[in-house]
Amino acid sequence: MTSARAIARFTDTRFVPLALRNLLANKRRLVRSSAGIGFAVLLMLVQLGFERGFFDASLATVRQLDGDLVIMSASKYQFGSADPFPPRYLESATKVAGIASVSPVYASWQEFFWKDPAGDKAYPVQAFAFDPDRPVFLLPEVRAQAARLKEADAVIVDRLARSFLGMASQTGETEINGRKVHVVGSFALGPDFMRDGTVMMSPATFARLLPGNPENAAAMPVEFGIVKIAPGEDAARVQQALRSALPAEIRVLTKPQLVAFERDFQADLSSAGPIFWLGTVVGFVVGMLISYQIIYTDLSDQLPQYATLKGMGYGTPYLVRVVIEQAALSALAGYAPAWLLCLLVYRAIGAVSLLPLHMTWGLTLLSLGLTLGMCLLSAVLAVRRVIAADPAEIF
Amino acid sequence: MPLQLAWRILVDQKGRTALATGGIFVAILLIFVELGFFVAVPQGGMLIYDHLRFDLLVCSSKYVFQSQSGQFPRARLAAALTVPEVAQASPLYLGGGKWQAIDGGLRLDIAVIGLDPKAGVFAVPDIERQIDVLDSPDTVLVDGATRSLFGSLETGRVVEIAGRRTTIGGRYKLGTGFLGLGVALASEANFFRMFPGRPLDTVNLGLVRLKPGADPDQAARALRAVLPADTRVFTRPELVAHEVSYWTIRTATGLIFGSGLVVSFVVGIMVLYQTLATQITRQLPQFATLKAIGYSDRYLDGVVLFEAWLIMAVAFVPALAAALAIYALVRSQTLLPLALGVSQLGAVFGITLVMATASAFLSLGGLRRADPAEIF
Repeated sequence: MTSARAIARFTDTRFVPLALRNLLANKRRLVRSSAGIGFAVLLMLVQLGFERGFFDASLATVRQLDGDLVIMSASKYQFGSADPFPPRYLESATKVAGIASVSPVYASWQEFFWKDPAGDKAYPVQAFAFDPDRPVFLLPEVRAQAARLKEADAVIVDRLARSFLGMASQTGETEINGRKVHVVGSFALGPDFMRDGTVMMSPATFARLLPGNPENAAAMPVEFGIVKIAPGEDAARVQQALRSALPAEIRVLTKPQLVAFERDFQADLSSAGPIFWLGTVVGFVVGMLISYQIIYTDLSDQLPQYATLKGMGYGTPYLVRVVIEQAALSALAGYAPAWLLCLLVYRAIGAVSLLPLHMTWGLTLLSLGLTLGMCLLSAVLAVRRVIAADPAEIF
Repeated sequence: MPLQLAWRILVDQKGRTALATGGIFVAILLIFVELGFFVAVPQGGMLIYDHLRFDLLVCSSKYVFQSQSGQFPRARLAAALTVPEVAQASPLYLGGGKWQAIDGGLRLDIAVIGLDPKAGVFAVPDIERQIDVLDSPDTVLVDGATRSLFGSLETGRVVEIAGRRTTIGGRYKLGTGFLGLGVALASEANFFRMFPGRPLDTVNLGLVRLKPGADPDQAARALRAVLPADTRVFTRPELVAHEVSYWTIRTATGLIFGSGLVVSFVVGIMVLYQTLATQITRQLPQFATLKAIGYSDRYLDGVVLFEAWLIMAVAFVPALAAALAIYALVRSQTLLPLALGVSQLGAVFGITLVMATASAFLSLGGLRRADPAEIF
């Protein structure tokens, strides 16, 4: 066997995971670099989580509506601002072909003042009313407890509401707009930046509590008409039919359209989106700086080894590949503990701030992509040193 | 001098030092930004108060925060005037109505502030200059920061507010704070025309101004003694504490930006520790030599500490400059009153100092391994 063939055999390195061995060679260094990259990952995950959490919180109620189509005033500009329409439009809606049911929802965001049972202050809460036989929300607890709302002045409350409202207990008595109400159950929804808590009740109770006490609950203006279409019907076709049956001051949206409508409003008018995106970008930049530093240091430390490999005849492409692989492995080594730690951080912050912070596949993939991106970018920047490594210089 | 040696080490390895400085720069910048939001977000709730002239605020005992202030009898303001220190007690009314273009369109929520145009309650030049406009019937001034959703805010445009045709009499520059997407000012008379259901004898807020030289705390006590239990009296510092704590909870600001602050702090330590630890490892022979020729461990510790402080000091100035630029950008984009106070500057400097010191101490472990006998 000639020496050239022996080297050729060595070059076939499929079975030597050099990048992995480099990474594991120095445990102290591994811990240090994983910690550095991990913190950058955590920073990005927390910022991304807040951004999602903010939107999820403000869309939580909309997403819980149990309907295929939603009828509302065309002049309504956001979900959480009252702009009711006359109930007679719902009667016209029921006559449209392909509709299984139309249920009215009465709502108020400014006019229902809930008294903290333990204190004497009253706070505005989000209030919904619907026919107890036809709960319009997907929340399982609301469906299970809706029948209890038939009792006069009975309400169910959001036990995840902000603590100063005192909604945590499942039963008891308090006042809404100065009138006594019985708490007969609770559900888990959670507050957002605009509302602190939610109560639900029957239309009759709603009418009694509403300032001005409308005599006839059935004649009250309606905030939403929740439409379920008959099995086998096409939502878009029924939506079109409803639109032509109703006047221009009424809007008909599919549920996904309503969610998008609310998301657009929140995205346009709140500062939360840009703030958290800024945070994510900063996390990425910090991560790049840390990972560049780590990779650059590792390469400097291992420069003699790389130069030796070069001297033995390994080509630059192979060495570059090792560096890139090592960067990808460092990224993963930092990512995994950060991802796990983030689950704890989400849980802790979510419990205190009442923001719905959840790890999702989307979030995992996005942050993993960002992490790999920052490490690979750093590797590409740092690899020049290896390319320049001169076997003659080191000995 | 450890300082000189630290400086030489840093200058000797310019590339590496620059890298570390860059890392610390970003960490400090991050701390500035997080702290800025932490302070500024709840301040949004103080924007209107900050531009009102008053020494004491009288409000309902049911007061929750500015737009949820409750109402109290107007007669309490007359009672307040009986306190010798009180020079003036002016009412302020707050109402919410829908804004809609005459030819239809979205019905948007607008906050309406009712005031006595003669009382000079707003310390805003734009408002004071145009205050006489409010005397015309059904005429309001609108805040220039009212969102573009509301359409043109040109003087003379007629819109419906709370179902009543109202003319825009002018625009002023203040900001909507946390009152909502749009704010309009109206005279008392116009305010009650817009909200006919409201009782004429109740007000939302009483702005009390004291005679020159009067002590606000003492006057607040005197006022509380005179006024019945249906009212509450705030001094300015008390009001700031109340509003800021409300918005800190409501917006989860404390947690969001507080946790961001902690993460930036840890990132800063990580970056600096990484640099120092690497440097120590690489220069272990030099450090061991220094030890061999008689320098004490404390001297070498001092060198590392000064390295950390020097890197921090060099990174601090550009981070401050970049932070000011970001603050200005955020102010123009989001209307958040992001600003750098002396106490904030001091806080960031203090945090950074702790960060540098902590990372230096973390990396000292490596230095202890410097053994003169081993290297030769």
